[in-house]
Amino acid sequence: MSEIDFGSGLMPALIALILVSTFMLLGSKRLYTCVRAFGFQSFLLAVVAAVVAYSTGRSEIYVVSFLTLIIKAAIIPYVFIKISRDIGVKREIELYVNISPSLLIGGLLVVISYYLAQAININTQLSNYALSVSMSLLFIGLFIMISRKKAMTQMLGILIMENGIFLGAISLTYGMPLIVELGIFFDALVAVLIMGIMVFRINKTFETVDTDVLHTLIG
Amino acid sequence: MSPDIFSNMGNTIFSIVMVLAQIFLIILFAPLLSGISKKTKAFFQLRKGPGIFQTYYDLAKLFRKESVVSHNASWIFYATPIVSFVAILTAGLLIPTYTTHLPLGFAGDIIAVMYLFAVARFFVVLVGLDTGSAFGGMGSSREMFVAALVEPAMMLSIFAVAVSAGSTNLGHIAQTVSVSGLGAISPAYLFAVVAFFIIIIAETGRIPVDNPATHLELTMIHEAMLLEYSGKQLAIIELATMMKQLLIFSLFANIFFPWGIWSGTGFGGSMITVSAIAISITIYLAKIAIIAVCVAISETSTAKWRMFRLTDLLSISLILSFLSIVSFIIARGV
Repeated sequence: MSEIDFGSGLMPALIALILVSTFMLLGSKRLYTCVRAFGFQSFLLAVVAAVVAYSTGRSEIYVVSFLTLIIKAAIIPYVFIKISRDIGVKREIELYVNISPSLLIGGLLVVISYYLAQAININTQLSNYALSVSMSLLFIGLFIMISRKKAMTQMLGILIMENGIFLGAISLTYGMPLIVELGIFFDALVAVLIMGIMVFRINKTFETVDTDVLHTLIG
Repeated sequence: MSPDIFSNMGNTIFSIVMVLAQIFLIILFAPLLSGISKKTKAFFQLRKGPGIFQTYYDLAKLFRKESVVSHNASWIFYATPIVSFVAILTAGLLIPTYTTHLPLGFAGDIIAVMYLFAVARFFVVLVGLDTGSAFGGMGSSREMFVAALVEPAMMLSIFAVAVSAGSTNLGHIAQTVSVSGLGAISPAYLFAVVAFFIIIIAETGRIPVDNPATHLELTMIHEAMLLEYSGKQLAIIELATMMKQLLIFSLFANIFFPWGIWSGTGFGGSMITVSAIAISITIYLAKIAIIAVCVAISETSTAKWRMFRLTDLLSISLILSFLSIVSFIIARGV
């Protein structure tokens, strides 16, 4: 099983890089850098999927990998940058929790998810890191949704959570059935488009994408 | 006399030669490294730039000049160039360059290196305050602000590699990593590499943190503390700064990419040893030059950051080195 060996040699490094890219996103104050970090993360995810496909010999995962590359690493970042150009969002993102504390919280979340993953104690042939990192992405995505003020970055948060679930699914179960994956991709894409339109509407009504303003009623 | 004593004598002489070689290597190539990184920056800014040997000419010129010392200066002002030069050179004997067999390896490890750097930094910071200029004090407070964030990150990222190598001796770490081949590339290793790259930028005073090429009061950190120096003293302290840069690059090269380092311990008495050493010196210089070019590229592609945003960059480094240790512990399954 040299293919499995090849995969298990490469997977920890790739998964660690995914976590690094998440921290780049968490530690950046510029919207475009965040979007780029997300694109890089999705690219790495596509590589992970390709490695899983190669080492398990399931050719349908190649399709999933290809779709990840097209949709998450290219189309979604493109849509993001297009929307933010069109409505002229401020390039600097605004936060409830400042960068340094949010990095610390991110580190803490990673430790917690490592601990949780240990408690579950699943060992796959490919990687022991996959589950804990996928849980960290889930938590960090949730944290980004809570701690960022603008709708754009909150969208990024939910996409990171989605990436985390995808990472867990692909590396623990070697992918869900193709039809389910397709559904999820379609879901993510449509979600981004709908959220994009929502952001447009919010911007049009309130002249800002700051979700704080949504608390006040407009008559 | 038995042949055993002869070989012991040979080894003693060999060790002395190794110490001298390491000192010469550090002093000789530190200015060249500065020259290379300046030239690279000039290339990316579409300038011709000074030649790579310009730093040698500058130093030679400064050594010929007279030093002017303020009336208010205390003994610290005279002591600092020498203290920082000697501290950094001593640290250089604890850091692997072309060989894992460290001249002072028996006397200290990474912790000693950190403290030697800290001694040098402490004296330079004192000098910033010594002459009582407002400028120097500002530089000193900024330097300590950066140092407080950089030092723990640097310790943690090297410790992350040290725990997997099972030793804090830098030569031993380099040896272990170079022997383990591609198996060394674990998540802990990757986190530590990224963290250490950020530390290089901060510690050698490169652009998002400090700008080595400017004397603009709003931006500078390192230069502000040295403003009062001139002549020979300035030359010594500049050389010490360049040496520190070389040593930080060496740490990065030989802790994280030690492949090709010479790991022999004694003199075999053959031409093979000499040629092996020559090859490893060449590889070492190539690695250092590549790192210098990479740092220069990252420097040209970013803008200088506002002082209080530096915490963001440096806390990324701190968190990544922390995660590096955590992921090592998790991988070991404690």
